[in-house]
Amino acid sequence: MTAPDDERRLEELVDGIVVLSSGDLSNRLQVSPARDGIDAVTTGINLLADELQSMYEELEVRVAQRTALLEAAKAELRRVINTDELTGLASRSLLQEKVAEAVAGAHGGRQPALILLDLDSFQLINDSLGHAAGDTVLREAALRLSAAGPGHLIARLSGDEFAVLVVDQEPDAVLETAARLGESLKDRIDAGGIAVALTAGTGVRLGEPGLRGEELIRDADIAMHEAKKRGRDTLRVFSGAMHEAAKQRVHLVAELRTALAANELELEYQPIIDLRTGKIAGAEALIRWQHPDLGLLAPATFLDAADEAGLTGEIGHWVLRNAIAQTGRWKANPGIPADFRTHINLSPADLHHVDLAPFIESLLVGHGVEPSHISIEITETAIMRGGPEVAATMQSLNDLGVRIEIDDFGTGYSSISYLRALPAAQAKIDKSLLDGLTTDRQQEEFVAAILQLIHSAGLGAVAEGIEDREQADRLRQLDCEFGQGYFFSRPLSVADMTELLAGRDAA
Amino acid sequence: MSEKDLGSSNGQDISSLGFDSDGILRLEWTRGVVIDAPSAQLAMDRVNEMCGGRPTPLLIDMATTESVSRAARAVFAKRCDASAIALLGSSAVDRVLANFFLGVNAAPVPTRFFTDDEEAVRWLASQGHDGA
Repeated sequence: MTAPDDERRLEELVDGIVVLSSGDLSNRLQVSPARDGIDAVTTGINLLADELQSMYEELEVRVAQRTALLEAAKAELRRVINTDELTGLASRSLLQEKVAEAVAGAHGGRQPALILLDLDSFQLINDSLGHAAGDTVLREAALRLSAAGPGHLIARLSGDEFAVLVVDQEPDAVLETAARLGESLKDRIDAGGIAVALTAGTGVRLGEPGLRGEELIRDADIAMHEAKKRGRDTLRVFSGAMHEAAKQRVHLVAELRTALAANELELEYQPIIDLRTGKIAGAEALIRWQHPDLGLLAPATFLDAADEAGLTGEIGHWVLRNAIAQTGRWKANPGIPADFRTHINLSPADLHHVDLAPFIESLLVGHGVEPSHISIEITETAIMRGGPEVAATMQSLNDLGVRIEIDDFGTGYSSISYLRALPAAQAKIDKSLLDGLTTDRQQEEFVAAILQLIHSAGLGAVAEGIEDREQADRLRQLDCEFGQGYFFSRPLSVADMTELLAGRDAA
Repeated sequence: MSEKDLGSSNGQDISSLGFDSDGILRLEWTRGVVIDAPSAQLAMDRVNEMCGGRPTPLLIDMATTESVSRAARAVFAKRCDASAIALLGSSAVDRVLANFFLGVNAAPVPTRFFTDDEEAVRWLASQGHDGA
């Protein structure tokens, strides 16, 4: 081969390399029969191109496989994030996403609405029947809600709270759906062999143009909490006033935290009279909040806020500490009657603390107060709904020698046999039962029957809300042992109560 | 050299395969052959058939081979009955092809490229195999 020929072959080789380097790795260069050095270079380049091409192809296949795996993992992750594991309903995050989409997609037309349902007394099912039964109930509730609200996104937000997003419907239809959802829960559910009837507190937020997704959820939540406050099986539709009230409550909650630290809480004491002797037999400690702007606040105005803030336990301890300390001070000066008892109210939350009895014992020892000078008042509802923990706490208080009194007796649904089994010493009949006591013969018989019931269970009776002498006389005739109310005395400041105790012999 | 004629249609890429007097199995590719995966596999099967399970020195005459595909090289990288392989070529192209194979694919048995037949035979003899 001649030199010019070699030059041409080298040029062809360079052209081939240019094509390869442009990215076309399928290009192969011609090898001549000469099999000389140029051919060897050409062959080497062909082999390298072959190698590179194969590597690229393998890489592409592998990337495609990995991408598919990654996509599958992402889809699975999304499914997990979007699904409530227990019920298979949508999760909170999916609901938030769909609410935002629905709000954005509604434009000026029909606005999306949100229905929140919170099962009533679900904690009781969990506590008394166990979590497996609780889970069964939640799954069944999910199925029922799905059947009652077909076509709507249904989510489980937490524990026993469900949400239903309703799009493109008139308000009437939304409310019908909400009512249907609530009704769907009522047929009995078999939970571990026990039939459970469910109801729910339902909050509805009807959408408005311009309302953001998170506001829709927040407002439905406010409405649902309002419904829960009004008792079982209640439906409430959100209103602007609710929002104001919620805002005030949030404000109150914040203030209440500082109130505890700033010593703005105080106790008043309402004397309890032995109706048989007319002498003072004790005093009920009643909490007050000396609010810097709003003045003296009664517990009804702030205990709900305390509950929401999770401060109930702290406030309960505060009351115990102060009431027992005060009893100790009175005992020293001016002295208290032998059968005097300071009555202290405890909330259901306090009763769930297993260390309540030791806590009270340490306070009694610390302030030199005998257990018999203390009476703990627990509402009938708290006892009935309390479950085994509350029963255990009551028993240990009883063992300590602290007297237990059933508060608001006659407002709940105590079973009569249960009443006998309780380690309580007294029952306080609610003041609503005194209405018409002296004017309505039937009411008098009714109160007589209740007192008889209390006595036959081996308990003493206290009547609260006594407003006049006639009521006091009639109750005494009906063998009611103790009474309290404005007729005897309003709640007193510590100073006034001290004075009352000091002057009791003179009185 | 007791050569075995491989004139069948399946074996057209191989011009001859057989043992020489030294007990070396010699495989000669057809002139200008393009070795792809099927022809590589066929050659390997024939070699194994001839060896009958005995480790055997193998000399492959690859002079004038046009090209060896990547897939074919992957076939040659699998273990066969050969105890050692001498690749015999003559041109610079043969050397590139052979060394590319040696460099890219890890050969399962000792494998080297030679341009001299006698040198290849000596090397094979030194590899310590069972003589046939």
